[in-house]
Amino acid sequence: MLALTRKPGERIVIGDNIVVTVVDIKGENIRLAIDAPREIKIYRGEIYDDIVVENKQAAVPLNMSEMDILKVLHLKK
Amino acid sequence: MIIQSSRFGELDITATDIINFPHGIPGFPNEKAFVAIVSDPDSPFSFLQSTTEANLTFLLADPFTFFKDYEFELDDEVARELGVSPEKPPQVFIIATVKEKLEDMTANLLAPVVINSHERIGRQIILDKSGYKTRHRLFPNGLPEQSAQGGR
Repeated sequence: MLALTRKPGERIVIGDNIVVTVVDIKGENIRLAIDAPREIKIYRGEIYDDIVVENKQAAVPLNMSEMDILKVLHLKK
Repeated sequence: MIIQSSRFGELDITATDIINFPHGIPGFPNEKAFVAIVSDPDSPFSFLQSTTEANLTFLLADPFTFFKDYEFELDDEVARELGVSPEKPPQVFIIATVKEKLEDMTANLLAPVVINSHERIGRQIILDKSGYKTRHRLFPNGLPEQSAQGGR
């Protein structure tokens, strides 16, 4: 975990091919520009977190009754 | 080889049954090998079982059964990584979350699971610009009638 302080215009280089630039600051909002290879996906943290939370809830709970599973499976396409 | 599933018991699988998820799955970054369990080929539901964690089973749904207009663009890099194309389209599933009442089930349209079943590679992708959400009700009008299917 690395914490840095940057001013607008300054950059952070991550690994060999990711660059985060602080573009500007307006009030509470900090604008960042991120340069990364297209195969590296970039998401707002709250969106990623939401997926993580939902996946964890979705991992089938052990107390789902067998009957419910059967009912669910017999719904036709 | 034998794997354990809390839901399905012991499963005898071969290497060609395993679907690889090189990126893991958000929330489960080390889970990279799953098998698909299809109890009823006519059902829109199936399961994705972890080969290493017996308790980890995802309930998958066919999105188009419930949301016939569901669509998204698959990023070129992801398509390349999965080896899919318009000529070799992937299978698409959404992960369903079971609630206390079955009819309250929701599914995640924001992050579908995309699988190339020939190459056995899968990935959960995030459609962050789509407007879809992580929780869409599958049965907004209640569960469909389960009444007699015979005699048709």
